[in-house]
Amino acid sequence: MTKTTQLARRQQELRRFGIFAAFPLFIFVLVLVVPFFRGVYYTFTNWDGFDATEFVGFDNYISSFQDEKFWSSLFVTFAYVLACLVLVNLVGFGLALLVTMPLRGVNVLRTMFFVPNLIGGVILGMIWQFLFGAAFPTISENLDLPIFRDNWLLSTETSFWALVIVTVWQMSGYMMIIYVTGLMSIEKEVLEAAMVDGATGLRTLVSIKLPLMAQAFTISMFLTIRNAFMAYDVNVSLNGGGPYRSTELVSLHVFQEAFNYGNFATGQSQAVIMFLIITAAALTQVVITKRFEVQR
Amino acid sequence: MATLSRRASAFAGLAAAAALVLSGCASAATDAGSSDSGAGDDAAAESCSTPTEVTMLGTIKPEIKEEFMGAVDEYNSTNSDCVQVKVIETAEGGTYLGDITPMYEAGEAPVLSYTNMEVPDMAPRVMDWTGTELASLAAPGTLDFATIDGRIVGIPSTAEAFGLLYNKTVLDEAGVDPTAIKTRSDLEAAFQAVEATGRSAIHFSGLWWSLGAHFTNIYAATVSDDRAERLAVLDELAAGSKDLIADEQFNNWLDTMDLLKQYSIDSASIADEDYDTGMYNLADGEVGFWFMGNWAEPNLLLEGPDNEYGVMPLPTTDDASTYGNDSISVGVPGYFMIDEEQSTEEERAGAIAFLSWFITTPEGQARWAGPVEEGGMNFIPVYSGFEVAPATYMANEISEYVNAGKTLQWVFSNYPAGLQNIYGAAMQKYYDGQTDRAGLAAELEAAWQE
Repeated sequence: MTKTTQLARRQQELRRFGIFAAFPLFIFVLVLVVPFFRGVYYTFTNWDGFDATEFVGFDNYISSFQDEKFWSSLFVTFAYVLACLVLVNLVGFGLALLVTMPLRGVNVLRTMFFVPNLIGGVILGMIWQFLFGAAFPTISENLDLPIFRDNWLLSTETSFWALVIVTVWQMSGYMMIIYVTGLMSIEKEVLEAAMVDGATGLRTLVSIKLPLMAQAFTISMFLTIRNAFMAYDVNVSLNGGGPYRSTELVSLHVFQEAFNYGNFATGQSQAVIMFLIITAAALTQVVITKRFEVQR
Repeated sequence: MATLSRRASAFAGLAAAAALVLSGCASAATDAGSSDSGAGDDAAAESCSTPTEVTMLGTIKPEIKEEFMGAVDEYNSTNSDCVQVKVIETAEGGTYLGDITPMYEAGEAPVLSYTNMEVPDMAPRVMDWTGTELASLAAPGTLDFATIDGRIVGIPSTAEAFGLLYNKTVLDEAGVDPTAIKTRSDLEAAFQAVEATGRSAIHFSGLWWSLGAHFTNIYAATVSDDRAERLAVLDELAAGSKDLIADEQFNNWLDTMDLLKQYSIDSASIADEDYDTGMYNLADGEVGFWFMGNWAEPNLLLEGPDNEYGVMPLPTTDDASTYGNDSISVGVPGYFMIDEEQSTEEERAGAIAFLSWFITTPEGQARWAGPVEEGGMNFIPVYSGFEVAPATYMANEISEYVNAGKTLQWVFSNYPAGLQNIYGAAMQKYYDGQTDRAGLAAELEAAWQE
């Protein structure tokens, strides 16, 4: 192959890439990259939602860190992420094991478990608001069950767990699909070999299935962490961060800070801080779980 | 303070408004389906080839959306100002700043907008109403809040009042005369009299906005009988130098809150649905009292049409002469502002023409102040020259309080944007017994530092 043809081929590849990627790239830059950098720029100004007239250095970051409510909402968010990370993946993996069993009607089950994910967060919140506020109390009164007698959304502890329950209900169906894919990708021969060697079901799960589908865990956990950190719509529509702002996640706090209290620059700084935290958390998680992935 | 002006005779003097009064098609009220009527298909549009489009953010209040849209439709189809008003509806749960800042950013700022707490934020970019006819018609005092740096940046919508609402049928049955309640002990005696008839005394809602804005106003407005001193207390709070727990009136006010809690019906809660529950409880006569405002009256009359509902002061002490024990809180819930940064002169003139139609013509006034069942917004007028006024029991009572000068300032309008939310959360904690007075005082003080 001569040098000129090589060059021509490379040019052709580049052109092909350009044709396909230019438009998405343009949109990506326009709606994500540009606003992101403008947002960062605003954090160093006295932006009031309308104009930014002067640079104020790190003042906005200082007042962000001085905002006690920001810290408490960060704390709530970490607790929420942790709870979701564990529960969503446990439930999602459990469901995946269930629907890959040779049972009748597994396809119907798969669809049913996935459906909550298709419901928008706001509607989801409203459905569960009704369940916690009216349906469960009525049912538990009739059946004499103490657990759901009071509206879960009206006390701090239960309101937090209500938020977690709704998130688990919404997200685990999606994670189930990823885990199902992981389970199906394991070669039949390996499983048959294990069976021939006399491995029990649990043994197969721990020693064969889990290591071979570790990648599914990496993906699912990454998505769970990201979604939980950025959760907003369910928070707004389910309990509005209540009672007494005790379940206000960081996204909602940022929104309130900017659009309700009118502290746009401070809110924007808190959003940037949140971005850094999420990036750090997600990268750490990916690095750790990658270690458990095995080559076939 | 907000004053009601019900001087009907002044209408004749509004010759200046005649220019805006329509030339013949005035009474042809139509009910077109949409407010967003394009040019061309409307009767009025025939007279002008390119009508000026005036955008309006929101529908004043979600409760009167239908009525407001009806009024806009009527104006669009009948006006000879060559103006079409287009309403930009807002999502429930949104905030004024959240809605309007992106529109400014996009260079598509609404010509007209309506808000309360955010008026100071908007002041630099909206029109000065000084010298306009509508500003001169506004009742004395109603422009105070919207007068910033010598400019009148907004004109008022209406006057609203809050205090203890009561169901007159229930009180009559219990032998309670609301006008005779002058002190906290009187109030407790009244509660007991209502309970003696086998009912609960009061529904005390724990809604964040009711507690955070309206209930805290009872303290903020009674802290002094002098307006400057009341605002000085807010300044002290902002500076972090106010010690609430050491304030006698703060404790008096919480004593009254404790009393309301003690006699409240079990179903009262901090849940968002509590507004409806409270409304049903009062309308159905389950309770005698409810701490709320006159905006609930249409709902109450719809649910329990056979009763009359009144409003009375909430006494904070056992001394009838304490400032505020004989007064209800009356104020302007919001102001209309016209953008000056991104609008054209024609658009601003169109916005003024629309509001002038609304406030000074018989057709507009019927929409502004007429009863809800006839498509009106039931606004208590705060402009001179009104020939229409709500005639319900509560509206009359409010007028009496206003005419007697027995009104408390809406100090909460001077809270910075968002403070009422933080106040609300702190008050809910106290309402639920999650914190004591000292804790509440500390949280209310800290709210100013956010």
